[in-house]
Amino acid sequence: MPGPDVSDAGGDGTGRDLDRLLAQVARGDQGAFEAVYDRLAGPVFGLICKVVRDPAQSEEVAQEVLLEVWRSASRFDPAKSGATTWVMMIAHRRAVDRVRSATAEVQRDKKSAVAAVTPDIDEVAEAVEANLDRERVRRCLGTLTEIQREALTLAYYGGYTYREVARLLNVALGTIKTRIRDGLIRMRDCIGVSW
Amino acid sequence: MNLLRHDLHTLTGAYAVDAIDGRERERFEHHLHRCQSCGQEVRGLQETATRLALAVARVPPPELKVAVLAGAARTRQHPPVTDTRPAAEPRVARRRRLAIGLGAVAAVLVVVLAVALVLQRRQLDNELAQQRAIAAVLAAPDARILTGPTSVGGTASVVVAGRLHKLVFTSAGMPVLASTKVYQLWLIGPSGATSAGLLPEASQGRTAPVLASGLVPGDEVGVTVEPAGGTRQPTTKPVVLIKVAS
Repeated sequence: MPGPDVSDAGGDGTGRDLDRLLAQVARGDQGAFEAVYDRLAGPVFGLICKVVRDPAQSEEVAQEVLLEVWRSASRFDPAKSGATTWVMMIAHRRAVDRVRSATAEVQRDKKSAVAAVTPDIDEVAEAVEANLDRERVRRCLGTLTEIQREALTLAYYGGYTYREVARLLNVALGTIKTRIRDGLIRMRDCIGVSW
Repeated sequence: MNLLRHDLHTLTGAYAVDAIDGRERERFEHHLHRCQSCGQEVRGLQETATRLALAVARVPPPELKVAVLAGAARTRQHPPVTDTRPAAEPRVARRRRLAIGLGAVAAVLVVVLAVALVLQRRQLDNELAQQRAIAAVLAAPDARILTGPTSVGGTASVVVAGRLHKLVFTSAGMPVLASTKVYQLWLIGPSGATSAGLLPEASQGRTAPVLASGLVPGDEVGVTVEPAGGTRQPTTKPVVLIKVAS
């Protein structure tokens, strides 16, 4: 079962609670926005740090993302995604845009890239709290094949396009496409995402 | 690269983690509109990606909250989307229609500007109603512009609004007539010619717009030179004839 608060990305009570809060935010309710912030700022900031790396830049992007949530709350459609997913999609997209526009600055090599994006035990220490998702995701990542895991984490945590991932791992494009998909499907089934 | 449908479907994973960009992304999103099973799968994979995000949550610095809440307090929010057009309309068709629309608007704008210039120069005593009727023709959705040279020199231009059964006629560069003569405008159909009025005296080579009603498909628009005051039926050979295709 999903844990409380941020652990819930699915459709149970907490998710609907966030839906309601976003509807209030759409009407300009700053109190509701603060409640949304308290729930999602941690995941937003964590994900952006993971992709962007640089703390100062990550903070900047996180601020943009959270303001975007305020600005666009009226565009959130509960029929299309959960509230948490809607926010995390904005966060991931912005983080990825930031690193892709800056790609020319630093050529990231495979070794450091893989090392940087593979979640390890140390990161538990950085945790907000030892939440169920962290544990479950770590365990489920362990059930993937090596190439599935590398492809998925490079794409999601590393912010690389699948074409870049193919280059980094020296694998054919078609193979990477299916590995990312297969990896996500396995994660979905392992975590038990109900959607 | 030409993607086969099968290849498109395997992009659900890459799409869910933002690992496709640019045109490939657009193409996949286009495909997504029509592929219900892809949409279902993408949604499940996006929810899964969210779990990956939650697993790396970090406590943000306290100043972030201050900055975000202060920013929200002075940021105007987007209004909700209220567009109710059918979502299934193909993008290509929409673009083509837009292109045609813009073309027509551009053509009409040229005429409107020319007409406006003429109106200004002539200090017309035309009534406002007349100007409004002319504006309605120029703004008609089916307005078309037709032009033709005249046998005496210069050019005749007609903006035809078929559904309104009206047209607006202007000319440029036609020679000035002696005070005993006028240019007369005609709608000429199979059953004969109907007078559509006299052309006003040109100013700097241009005649002010003349509005003609009662246009039917197959009519031709003609101009003849007639005695001052005009005639009931044309007495000379038209200097210009413009066929108004239905």
